[in-house]
Amino acid sequence: MTIMGILDKKLSLRDRNKMLIGVWEDEDHLMSGATELAHAGVHIHDIYTPYPVHGLDRVIGARRSKLARIAFFCAITGLTLMTTMIWYMYVHDWPMNIGNKPVRFTPSWAPVMFEGTVLCTAFGMSFFFFWRNRLVHGIKNELLDIRQTDDRMVVAIETVNGMDEKAVLDIMKKHGAVEVREFHNGVQTVL
Amino acid sequence: MGHGHHHVEVKQEQFVFSPKAKRFSIILMVLGLVFVGLGIANLGGHDNKHEAKTETAAHGEHAVAGHEAEGHHAAAHEEHGNVPNEAFGPRMEFHPLDKPANTRIWANFMIVGYFFLMISLVSLMWYAIQYVANAGWSVGIKRVPEAIMTFIPVPFVILMIGLLMGKNDIYHWAHYEHLGLKPGEAGYDAILAGKSGFLNSTMLFAFPSVLVVIWYLLMRKLRALSAAEDNGTKGDVSFFRASTKFSAAFAVIFGFTVSVIAWLLIMSVDAHWYSTIFGFYNFVTHWVTMITIMAFIVAYIKKEGYLGFVTNEHMHDLGKFMFAFTVFWAYLWLSQYLLIWYAQIPEEMAYYQIRFENYKFNFLLNFAMCFCIPFLGLLMRSAKRNRYVLAIIGSIMILGHYHDVWLMVFPGVFGSGMQFGFLELGMFLLVAGIFVYWVFTALTKRGLVAINHPYLEESVHHDVGV
Repeated sequence: MTIMGILDKKLSLRDRNKMLIGVWEDEDHLMSGATELAHAGVHIHDIYTPYPVHGLDRVIGARRSKLARIAFFCAITGLTLMTTMIWYMYVHDWPMNIGNKPVRFTPSWAPVMFEGTVLCTAFGMSFFFFWRNRLVHGIKNELLDIRQTDDRMVVAIETVNGMDEKAVLDIMKKHGAVEVREFHNGVQTVL
Repeated sequence: MGHGHHHVEVKQEQFVFSPKAKRFSIILMVLGLVFVGLGIANLGGHDNKHEAKTETAAHGEHAVAGHEAEGHHAAAHEEHGNVPNEAFGPRMEFHPLDKPANTRIWANFMIVGYFFLMISLVSLMWYAIQYVANAGWSVGIKRVPEAIMTFIPVPFVILMIGLLMGKNDIYHWAHYEHLGLKPGEAGYDAILAGKSGFLNSTMLFAFPSVLVVIWYLLMRKLRALSAAEDNGTKGDVSFFRASTKFSAAFAVIFGFTVSVIAWLLIMSVDAHWYSTIFGFYNFVTHWVTMITIMAFIVAYIKKEGYLGFVTNEHMHDLGKFMFAFTVFWAYLWLSQYLLIWYAQIPEEMAYYQIRFENYKFNFLLNFAMCFCIPFLGLLMRSAKRNRYVLAIIGSIMILGHYHDVWLMVFPGVFGSGMQFGFLELGMFLLVAGIFVYWVFTALTKRGLVAINHPYLEESVHHDVGV
């Protein structure tokens, strides 16, 4: 198993329990469907849409992205890294006399510290963002519907014990789902 | 929760300038007048001439004297003054000038006028950028910059009063021009003579006047288009298109001329000194202040129950603007400082030397108020979405940037000893009171919602996500 595979294990759909899949073709019906599902207390695992649908995150009660926190820690890492680096190079290992300026904590450190912070933050955020969205090289993407990156919207609901599956399917159909399926052990069955 | 998708019916609203807000603006003005009175009473009397005009060099010599009380200046001056510093060469030679006590008053007129003129102008720039950038989110709050930009004439008059009355004492190049020295004569300054094509009294009055007329006419045009759109029909995008064209014209004109104005009015206080980034630095100082003021006004009119569709999402974006341009301000502040610090060229260092030696507290306070406090205060998302945090940090920012402009002028004019006092605070509060009164009156002049703007719907549904 590759490193990416290990990292991906938690996000992968492969080992999920049974899931119910609803497929929509327009966001208005998707929105009303998702709203009613959420009101009915159904836990929506995720919704896959080809473009951002405003307000969907609030409807399904998505938690706030951790990207900001990641950015902060990447920034701290970058700042520490660059401060240490410039201290080691410029103060400890090989101090240089440039224009007779002092070497310790001078304004000339600021650009290095700033750029290092920005660099680490940018790369760190990009990596974690792409990894979380399963867009990193080395991850095999599992599409629940081949058209979910094109013109279809897919709602994935994780079934739990005691869930009224019939009711869930009825809600999805009522709100104009063009297709409802069951997902089990990597195999989808149209219901 | 879940407000994002369903249709929201937006109706026209009429802003009322409440007696409470009126009282607030009048309290600001009265408080300002009281402080101005206190400041004038403490000017020290007209017989007590201030510290002689300072070119930087001499100030390095009597930096200690600068910290002493005003009364001791004359003595200190006799001891240390008028000593040309060899390191600065003949160009930076010290020209002793007696400053009348009321120079400080006119310098204050000039600073407060410049500050609020730029606030009004950058709000027009902000408005123009929304059109040029095809921005939709800001349509709901577009009446606020539209009201702020009407303030242009008032600070311009204040600025011109300051310049008319205090020109020769504020700008040492103006005094030099007045001397009319020829090459070879004692005291002839090749640098000032070389700059006299740009730095002369005609330019000082004509250039800003011509530009303000152009800016003002463009402002009137954009406001007229906006009013015509309100009275037009929904779906008619002709006013929007015309606004975009005039906005683009203004953005180009202002983008180039704003730097020139900063050189002419502010940078020329230290006429031997120059910094290529100075104009942009000035722009950003006022830009971030204007966004803060805008956030204040939006928060206020929301609190009064107007603009229900303007949500925390819009406030969050204004908070992000405040934060982002705080960082950008610091970036320019450091860029200007860093290059001069590293290159160590006497002509360039003059500006910072005088500020670091005679105004060290203000120099550091400036950086703390304009960068450290807002940066840490607005870093978190929850801070940007909290009215009270925005109010506290924003107040520090507005005062800090006013102090920033003050710090660009006062050390150059007086050299040392003149602190940010009652007079400075009073002038600021006085004009701030007029500003509040003027802007809120302008807000009542038309409906609070740009009801026929093609992007209104987009603004109503603006959502930055969970």
